[in-house]
Amino acid sequence: MARERFQTLTEPMFYILLSLREECCGTDIMARVSALTHGRVDLGPGTLYNLLDSFQQAEMIRETSVSGRKRSYLITNKGRETLRMEYRRLLALTEDYKACVGEEEPL
Amino acid sequence: MKDVKYRWNTLCLYDYRGVEEHLSAMAARGWRLEKAGNSLWKYRRAKPASLRYAVTYNAGASQFNPGPTEGQESLEELCAAAGWEKVSDWAQAQIFSTGDPSAVPLETDEALRLENIHRSMRKNFLPANIALLAIGLLMASSLVYSLVSGHVLRLFESNAHLLSGTMFLFVALLEAYTLFHYYGWRRRSRRSIEESGSCFPINTRAYQRLNRTGLFLVGFLLTAYLLAELFSGNRGMALFYVVYLTLFVLLVFLVRRTTLQLRKWKASKGVNMAVTLAVDVVLAFALVGGLTFGAIRFGWFSGGSGETYTYQNVHFDVHPREDLPLTLSDLTGKNYRHIHRERRREGSFLLSKWSCREMVLENSREENVWPGSLHLSYTVYVPRFQWVYGNVVDELLGDAAPRPSYGMAYAYLPEDPAPWGAGEVYRLWRESEPSNSWLLCFPGRVVSLSMDWEPTAAEKALVQSRLEPEA
Repeated sequence: MARERFQTLTEPMFYILLSLREECCGTDIMARVSALTHGRVDLGPGTLYNLLDSFQQAEMIRETSVSGRKRSYLITNKGRETLRMEYRRLLALTEDYKACVGEEEPL
Repeated sequence: MKDVKYRWNTLCLYDYRGVEEHLSAMAARGWRLEKAGNSLWKYRRAKPASLRYAVTYNAGASQFNPGPTEGQESLEELCAAAGWEKVSDWAQAQIFSTGDPSAVPLETDEALRLENIHRSMRKNFLPANIALLAIGLLMASSLVYSLVSGHVLRLFESNAHLLSGTMFLFVALLEAYTLFHYYGWRRRSRRSIEESGSCFPINTRAYQRLNRTGLFLVGFLLTAYLLAELFSGNRGMALFYVVYLTLFVLLVFLVRRTTLQLRKWKASKGVNMAVTLAVDVVLAFALVGGLTFGAIRFGWFSGGSGETYTYQNVHFDVHPREDLPLTLSDLTGKNYRHIHRERRREGSFLLSKWSCREMVLENSREENVWPGSLHLSYTVYVPRFQWVYGNVVDELLGDAAPRPSYGMAYAYLPEDPAPWGAGEVYRLWRESEPSNSWLLCFPGRVVSLSMDWEPTAAEKALVQSRLEPEA
């Protein structure tokens, strides 16, 4: 179920996994995603909490430390693989676009 | 001026927008939510403020947890970092507020929100509603069967059957609607997320109106039942009902207190659930058993006169009741030493029904003769509406229809009504033998009569004079 669910990633999923290539806690993830996307992608705390929970269940991330209420996570090999597959998929989309429309064609 | 107020919550658990808008409006009026209970929400007076409220769902939250779970604490930590402050739990719904208009919304992925709401609804909202629907259907099945099959006498002769059946049918319809509403909303939300990116909006006011109407109807039916019992003269039943409702409220209170106390003692979720369930079951048995025992002990339902004694292994009355309109002594002209009499009143607002039974020992004064018992019983049906009269007669006649399982055929056959002074009279025949049971149809009243002997013409006339309606 979880495997099927993460065959393709939504933007919040993609950026959370990308942020977790380095160990960080939930609040750091929100800050990193905002910085990475220059504020384009908002990551609500409810959404983040549920995605972290789902990623953990799917063994795409693991909990590395707990300090009080603060929990830190790190991406697993399975998570890296999922992220890589999503990157390839996005590249394929980009290549297809270029092939059809051209490099400089405005939208 | 009161600083705290309580409101009966009529919002829908998955209507997060409705909750958020309601709480923001209350805050603007100077009332902040302090605690969202299952039914009652507590608000505290505060300076009117423009606050944003947001609801997210946590399937792991439970009223039986000793405190916030690790998951809830992590969520609160993340929300606090984003500027949101926890206000209260409401089942699996977690309510937060912020005064910062630019704070990031709690949920930024609608598909995930919908999935999360469904996971939370599966925890208790859906099982509870499905269980109530099943109970409602089961308890209303008798009413539905009676209405469909036309066997309405059992319904008409008791307010309890009539109104409890109606109440449970109503509960079943309400629960069916609730489930239909949820699954309909979920289906439309999926489509809406694909098209516009957000969950389908719920008409909060319409839902609340329906909820309030449902509550009003439940209150109306409960009150109508009490009044109907009093109107029908069933004071014992009315008293039973009032005590039952009072004890039921007490039971709910005690069960709730048990859960809260166990939470205070930091009992684990499993222990809390097990103990609460055990307390619930024990109290429910104590309530039903104790109340039924008390009602029998104090004679709320009993038609007997109270104190009895045993003679020849049979119970007789110390002071036989004197309010039977027709007794064996009236019919036989004899006096009996050992008498047991009962009189019961039942009925509904559609039909008044009272039954009398008498049993005496004959020849009891002759020491060397083994006494034999003599019986008389009659039930008088007084329909309050003409259309009920035909139903009563048809069903009583139908009750004697041949039943193959008994291995014996019964039938009411008409006989001359003149000696009884009735409009129509039917005698019960067992196979080809007449029994001493009759159905006497007087204008406006039907009498089912059984005795141990074939009455004389004078005795029939006496029955008529005592049991037919007063002029």
